[in-house]
Amino acid sequence: MQPILSVHNLNKYYGNQVGCKNMNLTLYPGEVVGVVGESGSGKTTFINSISGNLIPDSGKILIETGNETIDFLEISESLKRLLIRTELAFVHQNPRDGLRLDVSAGGNISERLMSIGQRNYGNIRQTIFKWLDKVEIDKSRVDDFPRTFSGGMLQRLQIAKNLVTSPKIIFMDEPTGGLDVSVQAKILDLLRKLVRELNLSVVIVSHDLAVIRLLADKIIVMKNGEAVESGLCDQVLDDPQHSYTQLLVSSVLQV
Amino acid sequence: MNNVLKFKNKKTDVTAQDEIYNFAYLDENTKRMIRRALIKALCIPGYQVPFSSREMPMPYGWGTGGVQVTSSCLTTDDVIKVIDQGADDTTNAVSIRNFFKKTANIETTEKTSQASIIQTRHRIPEEKLKEKQILVYQVPIPEPLAFLEPRYQETKKMHALSEYGIMHVKLYEDITKNGHIETAYAYPVKTNERYIMDPSPIPKFDNPKMNNNPAIQLFGAGREQRIYAIPPYTEVTSLDFEDYPFDPSKAPHKCSICGSNESFLDEIITDDDGNRSFICSDTNYCNQRMENN
Repeated sequence: MQPILSVHNLNKYYGNQVGCKNMNLTLYPGEVVGVVGESGSGKTTFINSISGNLIPDSGKILIETGNETIDFLEISESLKRLLIRTELAFVHQNPRDGLRLDVSAGGNISERLMSIGQRNYGNIRQTIFKWLDKVEIDKSRVDDFPRTFSGGMLQRLQIAKNLVTSPKIIFMDEPTGGLDVSVQAKILDLLRKLVRELNLSVVIVSHDLAVIRLLADKIIVMKNGEAVESGLCDQVLDDPQHSYTQLLVSSVLQV
Repeated sequence: MNNVLKFKNKKTDVTAQDEIYNFAYLDENTKRMIRRALIKALCIPGYQVPFSSREMPMPYGWGTGGVQVTSSCLTTDDVIKVIDQGADDTTNAVSIRNFFKKTANIETTEKTSQASIIQTRHRIPEEKLKEKQILVYQVPIPEPLAFLEPRYQETKKMHALSEYGIMHVKLYEDITKNGHIETAYAYPVKTNERYIMDPSPIPKFDNPKMNNNPAIQLFGAGREQRIYAIPPYTEVTSLDFEDYPFDPSKAPHKCSICGSNESFLDEIITDDDGNRSFICSDTNYCNQRMENN
């Protein structure tokens, strides 16, 4: 099997400051890769660089679309933006960054559909209802504005908005950050279900080891912009080799 | 060449009052700059060309863009008609017509068929336009995506890459809220199957008239400093959904003066009891019908 996304020797600097350095990643279809590390370790820089939000200084990003391999950093901007709104999806930590707050919930979900050329209102409406159902938002809320939604609902709406065109690769930056624990659990539950059901390939960034342990198959541990350890999730978390990983694992609160 | 000669001839017998102004107010360099923008706009139908808009002796929002475009197109042979919401006799129309009478010393008319240049605010004349006529629209906000995406850099990119999904989000919201597409004026169109364009706040009733029109259609936005255009015989389609097709719509009334069933109507409140009647918004069309009957 070929990896759907592979990143080779990716570097991103902010002036002299290291954003991330020598990063590698291989993502196979249906796989979830978690990126962990303390705040300031370059997680967000890394995920932004591989998802098209930032332009890295050097490195290679290859995306397998099924019939061809695309060099993500070499393609034209129009093709890149087309990929970003069809094959790729980005779930922001703050759902307000990924949603249009003055457009109804249904309108938010419909945007990607219409941008790939769907022009039948009835069909679009049905797809919206299907996705509201999938992310467990009551159908009666379809015409309400996102600003009337709770934090957890907003995040679920953002997930629906991103997944509606069945993207191949999903990037998530702290999808449960800033939510209370019970809502976090609900979102995680939902994500786990969607990942299994739809066979999604996901790169997820989190500082929360519990989130990563629950969702990810593989893990990359970052410190000071570099990957200090990577491997199978359970293996790394149960038998951490690098001193920083050991520190990270031991600092998880045991309740 | 001919025009230049004629202009020179005319210049000999203009009054001292008129000599204060260059022909049609704007200086020749400005007119040349605007003509360049117009030619570019005609080459890329629906594309917004930036131009360096001048201060005009009227406030923004009163047609400074339209006046600059008209001024740059005028020759001494031209006959100009100016309408405001279809009418020849409202303040904006009368003042702009007088402006060109004074600064260009040219003939004016109220008859659509006799005009070579028609400057309009918010209407397209009912009478079919012909080749060799120019229709100049006054445009307040040229960017159709402005209300959905406030970042100008981003809308430029969206136009360049034809990323127009968001435009349909607006129509989706309309249907969801009202059961039909509520947008009644400034209804977005696609020009020559490429650029999405704001037709200026004309009623959507007029949208079909833009399609395949033999006349040249020029759009000038003075405050926003943009010019765009539709060349003659260009395809202009109004955006819609398969199951909610575009409907030009019309008030279900007749004009109470000329009795026309086809024209766009203004609703007029006639007394304090709330009685109302409907009359043609295109005054020239209405008058012509009355004269012919």
